[in-house]
Amino acid sequence: MSIFTPTNQIRLTNVAVVRMKKGGKRFEIACYKNKVMSWRSGAEKDLDEVLQTNTVFVNVSKGQVAKKDDLSSAFGTDDVTEVCKQILAKGELQVSDKERQSQLEQMFRDIATIVAEKCVNPETKRPYTVILIERAMKDIHFSVKANKSTKQQALEVIKQLKQSIQIQRAHMRLRFVLPAKDGKRLKEKLRPLIKTVENEEFDDQLEMVCLIDPGCFRDIDELIRCETKGKGTLEVLSLKDVEEGDEKLE
Amino acid sequence: DGHYAHLLKMGLTILEKIIALQKKTSHIRNLCILAHVDHGKTTLADSLVASNGIISSRLAGKLRYLDSREDEQIRGITMKSSAISLHYTTGGNEYLINLIDSPGHVDFSSEVSTAVRLCDGAIVVVDAVEGVCPQTQVVLRQAWLENIRPVLVINKIDRLIVELKLTSQEAFTHLQKILEQVNAVTGSLFTSKVLEERAEKDAEAQSSCTENSSADQVYDWSAGLEETDDSDLYFSPDRGNVVFASAIDGWGFRYILRFFKQRAISCALVKKNPLVGDVFSNSKGKKPLFVQLVLDNIWNMYDAVVTRRDKEKVEKMVTSLGLKVMSRDLRHSDPKVLLSAICSQWLPVSRAVLSMVCEKLPCPAEISAERVEKLMSVGARRFDSLPEKTQELKKAFLDCSADETAPVIVFVSKMFAVDSKALPQNKQRPLTQEEIAQRRELARQRHAERQAANQSAESPGSADAGGTSTPAGPARGAVTDALCAQTEALSVKAAVEEENKEHFVAFARVYSGVVRKGQKVFVLGPKYDPSLALRALPEGCSVADVLPSIPHMTCCTVDSLYLLMGRELEELDEVPSGNVLGIGGMEEFILKSATISTSPACPPFTPLNFEATPIVRVAVEPKHPSEMPKLVRGMRLLNQADPCAEVLIQETGEHVLVTAGEVHLQRCLDDLRERFAKIEISASEPIIPFRETVIRPPKMDMVNEDLGKQQKVAVIHQVKEEQMKNPEGVQVDSTGLVTLTTPNKMATVRVRAIPLPEEVTRLLEDNVELIRTMEQFSLFAWEDKTLDINQKILENIQDFKVKLESNLQGHKWRGAVEHIWAFGPRRCGPNILLNNIEGYRRPSVWQCLEREKETERAEIRDFDNSIVSGFQLATLSGPMCEEPLMGVCFSVETWHMKISAPLAQQDSVDEDSQPAEPSNDDQSESSDVHETSSNRSRSRVEAAGGSVDCYGPFSGQLIAAMKEACRFAFQAKPQRLMAAMYTCEIMATAEVLGRMYAVLSKREGRVLQEEMKEGTDMFIIKAVLPVAESFGFADEIRKRTSGLASPQLVFSHWEVISSDPFWVPTTEEEYLHFGEKADSTNQTLKYMNAVRRRKGLYVEEKIVEHAEKQRTLSKNK
Repeated sequence: MSIFTPTNQIRLTNVAVVRMKKGGKRFEIACYKNKVMSWRSGAEKDLDEVLQTNTVFVNVSKGQVAKKDDLSSAFGTDDVTEVCKQILAKGELQVSDKERQSQLEQMFRDIATIVAEKCVNPETKRPYTVILIERAMKDIHFSVKANKSTKQQALEVIKQLKQSIQIQRAHMRLRFVLPAKDGKRLKEKLRPLIKTVENEEFDDQLEMVCLIDPGCFRDIDELIRCETKGKGTLEVLSLKDVEEGDEKLE
Repeated sequence: DGHYAHLLKMGLTILEKIIALQKKTSHIRNLCILAHVDHGKTTLADSLVASNGIISSRLAGKLRYLDSREDEQIRGITMKSSAISLHYTTGGNEYLINLIDSPGHVDFSSEVSTAVRLCDGAIVVVDAVEGVCPQTQVVLRQAWLENIRPVLVINKIDRLIVELKLTSQEAFTHLQKILEQVNAVTGSLFTSKVLEERAEKDAEAQSSCTENSSADQVYDWSAGLEETDDSDLYFSPDRGNVVFASAIDGWGFRYILRFFKQRAISCALVKKNPLVGDVFSNSKGKKPLFVQLVLDNIWNMYDAVVTRRDKEKVEKMVTSLGLKVMSRDLRHSDPKVLLSAICSQWLPVSRAVLSMVCEKLPCPAEISAERVEKLMSVGARRFDSLPEKTQELKKAFLDCSADETAPVIVFVSKMFAVDSKALPQNKQRPLTQEEIAQRRELARQRHAERQAANQSAESPGSADAGGTSTPAGPARGAVTDALCAQTEALSVKAAVEEENKEHFVAFARVYSGVVRKGQKVFVLGPKYDPSLALRALPEGCSVADVLPSIPHMTCCTVDSLYLLMGRELEELDEVPSGNVLGIGGMEEFILKSATISTSPACPPFTPLNFEATPIVRVAVEPKHPSEMPKLVRGMRLLNQADPCAEVLIQETGEHVLVTAGEVHLQRCLDDLRERFAKIEISASEPIIPFRETVIRPPKMDMVNEDLGKQQKVAVIHQVKEEQMKNPEGVQVDSTGLVTLTTPNKMATVRVRAIPLPEEVTRLLEDNVELIRTMEQFSLFAWEDKTLDINQKILENIQDFKVKLESNLQGHKWRGAVEHIWAFGPRRCGPNILLNNIEGYRRPSVWQCLEREKETERAEIRDFDNSIVSGFQLATLSGPMCEEPLMGVCFSVETWHMKISAPLAQQDSVDEDSQPAEPSNDDQSESSDVHETSSNRSRSRVEAAGGSVDCYGPFSGQLIAAMKEACRFAFQAKPQRLMAAMYTCEIMATAEVLGRMYAVLSKREGRVLQEEMKEGTDMFIIKAVLPVAESFGFADEIRKRTSGLASPQLVFSHWEVISSDPFWVPTTEEEYLHFGEKADSTNQTLKYMNAVRRRKGLYVEEKIVEHAEKQRTLSKNK
């Protein structure tokens, strides 16, 4: 047992502890803050930049080092570096401030990008830029939830944004051909799902080109398939109905 | 108040005079003031304006009357051209001078163009200290190109005395030098023109020579220059077209002496000038007469007044000159005040300049035939090729008559925005006697009412006058009054809002005829073609008739006409030919410039020569996203108000503003903020597009060593790592063939990525329309319908196919063209999907060409569409930074399916209906399409009898698998980014070439060619520059070359950036050279990470670079 005097203790500052339970024992390693995530993502390749000391502890704050026997029984090796790597890869840790911040920032950007990709300004039929969407999201005080997927959150944001700016999901352009006998009946059923009908021809079969909200696509798809028993065809002309090319304001 | 009334009265009388003078064409001078920035244009204009009593002569030079914008006053530079009409009397003749002040800053040279077009002459101002500057050359060229006659004012001579402390002798040589410089510029313009003309003539001669088959040609190099007389072009004091001046001190003189030659003439002049007498007597031998006669006097004056402040001498001088100086000026502590008081009486600059203008510059009727032809022939069209009726109009131009019968021809060179408050209709006028009386009566009545109300208020019952609006009897008088006041205030507010609307006034000149208020006229856009109209319109029709619509032609009524008086506008009823004017109410019909005429035969004027094309691009966004519509409206207005600004909405949704330079940009943004949009906006660097591609494996490493022979140090390690990166189910072999199986293990695809040759990529890019047509045809064919394509397009397609075949040669590409499956992204992009599957023959994309042959109908396999959709998605966003791919060919080598036939049949319906959407493993979250219908789809699963497994619909899986396979195949090859490139044309003088190259190379530009322009000392350099590096380029190059080089940028092509974004040293040599980490900056990686960061993608970057160097904020101790 070591003597607890100022001269023979190494005080660690800036510690992020990574813990792992294995073989009924708890193991800890002392890492630098804001570094573990970089190691896990592969951005940091130097182990010395991640680990404070090349030691496996039972308790970092008390400075209790794990016994070699325990290590070899739990991990099957007593190579400390190897064990450290394993703990780094699979152990649990508290995410440090900068790590969390960059993660949330990235998610925020991601959400804004998804919104910008999916939506248009209904007046001009042109997309908004990501920066503008970000600003609008900040204006409505949107906060990112780390445990929800960005796509889900993006869809929520679109609904909220509709109150502050002119925005809507970009419409999908569909074309479907229906056999004549089902045509009339189906048309009535489809009507509530369609935003605008661009073209409609009814001779021996009903042919329609229309714009729909992407959310309704499955319903329409299913309706046509079930009702016509596979005789009707449905075709996506464009996923996003947006203006193409640059336009000079005049 | 008396003073104001006096001014107003004077203004009115001048106005009357001006209106009278407008009809005397020979007494009109239209001129503009041109110069380099800060050479004193506006100051000179001030002195001229002061001579008309519009501003006090004391304030002349300080007020800068024509700089009406606030930012112009703050920055001290002019930003727009503005006109003012002046009245001048000389030798019993009265003249009307329409003066246009123009900006000197290079960013606003478009404003100069608009001014120059409307004038017949120009005053070129040159700073006596700085001499000829870049913009001086530009304005001289502009004046030259527009065929207008210049006169010269050498300004700021006081600086030679006070700042540089030159002696009169030194100043003389200095001034001579400046004159030579100016004449050199004019001379070079002249020679280049003559050379050009000769080249043209030669070309003609040559063509005729070949016809005549005469072989012996003798070049006569001396021809042209000697034959053409150029003596009347140059500035020289003895020709009387030079004024020496100091506008700030208010003096200037025109020197008519032939000071090199005879004394006798100067003697004659001595008698005219009282001051010259005594100086002349004590002449000292060899001094040039100019110095003796003129400069010495001025030097003495400055010496006495400014330097020595010798009161006695000053008084002596003043009396000998016979001037009267006010005693308060004599006592003033600032000698400059006294100086200008003396000088403005002694040698008033306005007299010198205006007399020169009236003598030397042509009147509107003297317009040269050459200039008329130039104005009338648009673009490359020769004057002779215009319709006959149009050619007849030339006479109208030359006559410039204000007859009733003459056709009206007006050219609008720009539109400018005016606050409605400034419009004369809304201006407050002094009240007439009757009006004042009426008002007094009203006030008296109101007072009486109020008194009555007060009385009744004392009586009980009326105190509870709550807020009811119905007035009942005098008891409610007070309330009514208050309410009235309120409503009045409200209506005033509404009126104010109404007034804040911007009005546009067209800045124009009448070339022929008389424009009247309420007249009906044609407005002809810049692209209007008179021959078209003449054919469509009946003979002898006029504007009043109902006419068929003709492109770029509209009819309208002239709303209001204005006399431009600097900041003020005065309403007019009619404007005869030869005058500069403002036309109101044209904003609906004119965008930037236009021609107005009563004759449909009138051609549109040639477009203005803009010296600076807009090149500084920024993306503009409102601070609050909800204010988008306001921004768009504001940008539209800005576009109309500024001749040089361009605004556009890009496909990305960005609103881009293109301006001529940083200062111009600043002004445009200020205008947007404060006038047109009235919202907060932010401007930022616009989004820079990239493309992703693959290349053949490089043979050389980064230190130019052959890769093949060398030992690869780290390569084994890397391969291992890459293998680990690939998720389960993906196999990549060493040749880049990727094998991928769908999650339900039903289908397997093998895909390989191959770089397309550069020519093929270009070919695909150029023929987008053809590909689209082919795609449409295939679509129709698939539904057993036919689409009719006309013969010409078919030929084009055939041609395109042949070209593709000739470019795709070699073993690798055997039969490739026939096997093309699809193009992408969006079914028409510059990437190819190849069908190299054995035993799968599907209808070719070329089937429109084989219509006649009626080939055996090739079978389309089920899920064919899913493969194509997967390919489309993969090409739309690449793995590097989700930018579109370019020049990549994906070849599908095998495609195995392990599903039973009926199931496939059942699902194939599903397949065409499947949106081309990425169905990731994470289906429930991948998109809301799946989400919203997840319940139903489950119920359908049961209905379909288990044909859809837990991984979602099969077609979706196949799309995802194909997309992933393409991405992996792409990553298996050496990846590169492609950058958009500008071609950049730079005109520069020889001395700044070095500095210009430095800027170019710093920004990764590459010089393609360098040529000297014939007859000048200008070089023309062609270079390419990545768009990503172009932000701020124009400004930097101008700064570094002191404005002597001006770049023009045009988008040209996509170019592969040669460096590998994922490069790490692998060979021994590279280790030696770069070290293990390769810390040197990787430009491609920088671009890639910038895009990834912008899009919120993962960037491989450490959050903290050095773990030890983090700041420790200890909490406990």
